[in-house]
Amino acid sequence: MGVTILAQFPVENKTGPQIIEVLSKRICALGATPQGQFLVDCETFTSVPALGHQRTVHVLHNSEQPATVFALLETGTKTIPLVTDGLFDLLIMKMISFYQSKKHTKTESKGPRFEIGDFSVKLGTVNITSNFKGILVEVEYKPCVVPAMCWDLIMEFMQGFLGSSGPTAPPAFLQNRMQEIYSPIDTIQQYLEHFTIFRKSTGPTMVMRPQQP
Amino acid sequence: MDRDIEQLNSALNSVKILRSNVRRVFESVSNGLRADHGEEIKENRYILELQELLTTVNNNLRDVENSVANLTPPPGAFNLGNTTYLSQETTQDRQQLYGQLVNSYKWTDKIREYSALAGNILASNSFNKTYKTFGTTKRRKTQTSNHNVPPEIIENLITSIDRLFSDVTITASRPFVPNPVIQVALGRVLRAVIAFKGLMIEWVVVKALSEGSDVWTESRYKVFRKVTENCHAAMCHFHSPLMPDLAVRSFMHWFHSYITLFSAPCKRCSKHLHSNLPPTWRDLRSLEPYHEECK
Ligand SMILES: [Zn+2]
Repeated sequence: MGVTILAQFPVENKTGPQIIEVLSKRICALGATPQGQFLVDCETFTSVPALGHQRTVHVLHNSEQPATVFALLETGTKTIPLVTDGLFDLLIMKMISFYQSKKHTKTESKGPRFEIGDFSVKLGTVNITSNFKGILVEVEYKPCVVPAMCWDLIMEFMQGFLGSSGPTAPPAFLQNRMQEIYSPIDTIQQYLEHFTIFRKSTGPTMVMRPQQP
Repeated sequence: MDRDIEQLNSALNSVKILRSNVRRVFESVSNGLRADHGEEIKENRYILELQELLTTVNNNLRDVENSVANLTPPPGAFNLGNTTYLSQETTQDRQQLYGQLVNSYKWTDKIREYSALAGNILASNSFNKTYKTFGTTKRRKTQTSNHNVPPEIIENLITSIDRLFSDVTITASRPFVPNPVIQVALGRVLRAVIAFKGLMIEWVVVKALSEGSDVWTESRYKVFRKVTENCHAAMCHFHSPLMPDLAVRSFMHWFHSYITLFSAPCKRCSKHLHSNLPPTWRDLRSLEPYHEECK
């Protein structure tokens, strides 16, 4: 598991499949080989009023860690991450009377996966309850585990095939953690950060509590 | 299957008997004449005893050869069979089983490979040959003592290198041996496994910190395989038969410059990436980073 950077790619009057095709061609022209598909999904649950102060649990899966379930609990003052095995999915189903699934929030990013040198690149189409929302590009540099050491290198790589749409600053979530050892939950936090922005963009009914930095 | 195991057991047993009887020969030789050999003709008695012991050893050796000849070598790699399903076990206390199983599988696989190699080498170097032809005094004189130094001296060298750099952590799994294998962690960037032959560096493998620490397998990452290659070049460059400790020190000094492997751009093209690799070469004198193609 290396350092992973997630960035949004602007849509600009194009359809999702068109952008994915353009980006796939570009990355393959650079020498990448397709390596199947990937999927990151997120479902959000909120505590029932009977439990008092409302809390939110985001449950995420990543096809890179197929045996793991990630849960992020937002208490309002902080976010508590939890990394568990597959049984957590069953547990959350049992808790239906305390934590209820938020309507129309099932979000996923899925698409093709590529390997190029020691990088892996994922081009994700983001859908919220099967409505197209945007494109997320994930780049992982596998040999390095400290973001501060390889940020410039990853940025150069991303600008190489995303052009001026590539990131110019580290993701907000990582900015305070640049010196720490990177782990899979950090990728999940970045996905949640973007999913939250996508959900907000649909209108006032979808507004959620802002993510803690 | 049962028959195979039986034969394997009897072969192992005969090896055990051979070992214990060889041990008795050495015991007898090291003890020399004892009181129970009596006063008169004690030399003769001692020689008789030794002859008897050697005959037993000879017989045992024949037994070993016979029982080994009966063994059928396993046809290929072992099949894990149903045990692979253990990986899907959800019960906490059984989950560890799979990891242990895989480890022991790797071990048996390695043992198979090495024993096949050893078998070939032993077959082509029969122990019936005398070693006298090699043991001339002329040859002995030209030999430098670099690969046959007391473990303490190597140990001191390693400790002094460990003290030299604050971001280098050296661990030696078996300290105080003539040919140690050490692991050198360079900050949070990489780890090198360095095998010494006396005071000389014999082999270097560079890997990610998360990868295993054996000397045989190379890294799964291109960047570390490239750095391994360059380490071999530097190892030869710094090699100096007359001042072996200086060679090791110079190598380590050069190697330490990889602390910026991911963060330093190339000195010539000022870019981070070339062919999707960071600058994997460090100049031997200036220690400046270069891409393979830019040096
Ligand atoms: Zn260059």
